[in-house]
Amino acid sequence: MTDTVSVLPLAAVLLPTLAVPLIYAARTRPRLRETVTLAASIATLVTVWFAVQSPTTLVTPLGSFAGIPFALRADAAALLFALLAALLWVVTSVYSIGYLYALDEHAQTRYFAAFAVSIAATMGVAFAANLLTLFVFYELLTLATYPLVVHAGTAKARAAGRQYIAYTLGGGVAALGGIVLVGVLTGTVTFTPGGIDGLGATDTTLARIAFVLLVVGFGVKTALVPLHGWLPTAMVAPTPVSGLLHAVAVVKSGVFALGRTVLYVFGPETTWDLGLGLPLAAAAAATMVIAGVVGLRQDNLKRGLAYSTVSHLAYIALGLALATPVAVFGAFIHVVAHAFMKISLFFAAGLIYVETGEKYVSDLAGVGRRLPMTMTAFAIAAAGLIGFPLVAGFVSKFHLIVGAAASPHPAFVVAYLVAGVLKLLYFWPVIYTAFFGRRESDSSESRHPFAPPHATDGGYVEQAMWERRSLTREASPLLLAPVVATAAAAVLLGLFPTAFPFWALAEAVVVEVFG
Amino acid sequence: MSHLLPLLIAVPIIGALVPAVLGARRPVISRRLTVGILVGQVGLAVAVLVAVAATGPRTYVVGGLPAAVGIGLRADAVSTVFVLLVAVTAAALYVTVRTDTTGPTDSLWLLFVAGLTGIAVTADVFNLYVFLEISGLAAYALVAGRHGTRAALAAFHYLLVGTIGATLYLLGVGYLYVATGTLGMAGLRADLAAVGYDSPLVVTAFVLVTVGLGVKLALFPLQAWKPDAYAVATPDVSALLATLGSTVPGYALVRLVFDVFTASFLDAVPLVRTGLVVVGVASVAAGGYFALRQSDVRRLLAYSSVLQMGLVVIGIAIATPAAVTAALVLLVGNAVAKGGLYAATGVFARRFGATTVDGYAGLGRDAPLTAGAVSVAFISLVGLPPTVGFAGKWYLVVAAVDSRAWVVVAVVLLSTLVSLAYAGRVVERLYLAAAPGGTEPVATDGGGLADGPARERTVVFVVVAALATVLVGLGSTELAAWFAPVVEGWL
Repeated sequence: MTDTVSVLPLAAVLLPTLAVPLIYAARTRPRLRETVTLAASIATLVTVWFAVQSPTTLVTPLGSFAGIPFALRADAAALLFALLAALLWVVTSVYSIGYLYALDEHAQTRYFAAFAVSIAATMGVAFAANLLTLFVFYELLTLATYPLVVHAGTAKARAAGRQYIAYTLGGGVAALGGIVLVGVLTGTVTFTPGGIDGLGATDTTLARIAFVLLVVGFGVKTALVPLHGWLPTAMVAPTPVSGLLHAVAVVKSGVFALGRTVLYVFGPETTWDLGLGLPLAAAAAATMVIAGVVGLRQDNLKRGLAYSTVSHLAYIALGLALATPVAVFGAFIHVVAHAFMKISLFFAAGLIYVETGEKYVSDLAGVGRRLPMTMTAFAIAAAGLIGFPLVAGFVSKFHLIVGAAASPHPAFVVAYLVAGVLKLLYFWPVIYTAFFGRRESDSSESRHPFAPPHATDGGYVEQAMWERRSLTREASPLLLAPVVATAAAAVLLGLFPTAFPFWALAEAVVVEVFG
Repeated sequence: MSHLLPLLIAVPIIGALVPAVLGARRPVISRRLTVGILVGQVGLAVAVLVAVAATGPRTYVVGGLPAAVGIGLRADAVSTVFVLLVAVTAAALYVTVRTDTTGPTDSLWLLFVAGLTGIAVTADVFNLYVFLEISGLAAYALVAGRHGTRAALAAFHYLLVGTIGATLYLLGVGYLYVATGTLGMAGLRADLAAVGYDSPLVVTAFVLVTVGLGVKLALFPLQAWKPDAYAVATPDVSALLATLGSTVPGYALVRLVFDVFTASFLDAVPLVRTGLVVVGVASVAAGGYFALRQSDVRRLLAYSSVLQMGLVVIGIAIATPAAVTAALVLLVGNAVAKGGLYAATGVFARRFGATTVDGYAGLGRDAPLTAGAVSVAFISLVGLPPTVGFAGKWYLVVAAVDSRAWVVVAVVLLSTLVSLAYAGRVVERLYLAAAPGGTEPVATDGGGLADGPARERTVVFVVVAALATVLVGLGSTELAAWFAPVVEGWL
């Protein structure tokens, strides 16, 4: 495909940015403020959609920064990520409004503004045409998500924020070192499908060090063990943040940058020639198993989901590391599939919290009776993450496993299978207790009939039994609709994977990289 | 056009008489005239910049004497940037932040400008000493201008250390004169090569000159005066000193190392280069360590400058075009960020009586604009994109990797994390700590609360400085390209 100069990639970055002053200007009028967010998210989605439709590759050159060309380029990988993030931003905006209103959260303006900046930065990461441009937006994403992590303002949130910043900016320092090394070794940091020419032919020790620095740097946001510590802690953030940013935008910026490093800077061949593919694959395989095991012990629902994210990002990282065409294809498809499924789960977790005030799995026995639609969506998304057919996760995992089997190291198939079993072990008890469990207090004899309901944390009144409501009154439609929509999308992605542009884009990536 | 260069120095020196004469009796007129002089200085600086851009470097010899004995002035692409920085900062701070405008201190303000401008445009190492002393004496007096024992002590400390530094520099100049018989920079450059770079006389001169300027830069272990002086001075004075006080001597160090001693000297005497690296790394480490331990924000910022100047010296020591560019960009970046931050400390001190990190708790809510600008300036100091701090660090890391100086690469990258730690302390406190009890405005020694308009203007200065860190960052390629002909000429 030829390159065409266009403002569309820049527009995708600028539209969310321009929303920020408007959000602040409308801070006293919440409805107008939320309209701005929604309008910006839809406008961003439309912009990215037009870029997807373009027959040529769109490029926005933006001069140079610190002596390196600064440019945005909408190649297939960029479009896949940008389309995903833009699409889910629209859904998450609706959900955010319902969530913040329902909980009457403080600092809503700051929340929506920081969210918009985060999306702008994510768009920048997606469209970056070279490592330096990517790095600029990567760091910006860290800064923009910080206020969201510490949103609650409690000591716990502050500690989480400090840890978040230390991990991610620490990783940024390593990545910067790697970028400089690549630039000095080859004289360019521009992404080239199949790798920058001559990187493998230069000083191999330095090239290896550069790779390690980049993988460590981007591995922090990818949450590769042992660089994952920040992610479960960051779950202290409001749930929409955990859903879009810490299951999609931030962590996938990490794995996306990792993909850029393996496929577009070093290239699959050089990566394996230098002996770097196997260690990365081993790290990813170890991550998916370790996170799966640790996740089993989490009672806090969001923390459990966070460990599941750690594990699933390692699926993607392993696919990228094995670097066979099918594995890479599976990795990019899994970026999309995991996003839809995991955001459904987070939305469900947030809805449960809003409606019942519960955060712990052990307190959720029987909640399926109170929230039948929500928990059905939860079960479907969870089934997809385990790898059941007919849901998006099966399609991507199938390709990842086939790709691993075709690689020189088919043993990694076992890692995927073990991780799948671990997911089953984690999700099954959650789903089972939600639908079939009973609270200890469900038996009315155990309580004195006139005993006053006792308040638990958050001031919610614990009810002896889950209240039954009609389906239409299950929860605010602003919360319920996104849950149902993303879960339904996950199913559609599983039933008709080729009907969505993501499929063709992932194919284009493979063609571009492997020729 | 030909007399622009001497006017750059003559205007503020002669202008310094105006507040001295009129200040007491006609304060309003005196103030207006001072503003006029400072704005005129900006105009002159712009004119010189334009002239240099159009026709290349300009030289001028006062009185038409031969360059060897006359007072030579020279402006090239690098010096004009610093001349402009001095003029704009001095004028902007005078108009926005300065509240105490009594005659004598306004004269000092103008003398300070004259001295620094002189350092930037002189082509003669002895005159550089003279201008160093003019700016230094003005700075000591400005610090002492705030009443009270602490100010007097800090100013005395500053005076003693600063004078020793200047004296060491003068000794170095003496050695140079003994070695070569000339004081003009161009002549020295040629003659030093003839004398031989490894001659003890030349090496001693270099060490004395560097240590002398190192005092002005507050390199470790010569940094003690800085936090004391900056923490007690009035906000306008500390902002002025923090922006320019070390920046212009930093420029002088670059100029002397590459335009007088030249990179060949560094190659011929590797020990000197190693020494510079060690001093730079030590300053980075010590600056970061002490910055982390400060409770007073102005002291914290002073140590942050020590760290930044360490990076500058590392850039000088590496001595490749990218490294020297990095040093110059870092000097400009630190100046802009520190100017804004010290002005902001003034805002917080006056409005909320807050001077410590803990005292800043929750001020992000009460002063959102200032706090936001402070955050941006800190981001530049940490060196995150797209600010100028990142651009400087980027050039420095590229240069260090190119030279395979791995220790330096590691130190520069790790300095980011140290800076992040001290900056994070302040920024997190601004936004997240619950305000302790009441946050009603408190009058402190800085004067009453009646200075409304001045306060507003200060906020404007803080915000503009923060924006400048981003804009200069975005324009860093252009800035580097502007420096490039001169830097490449040196190397």
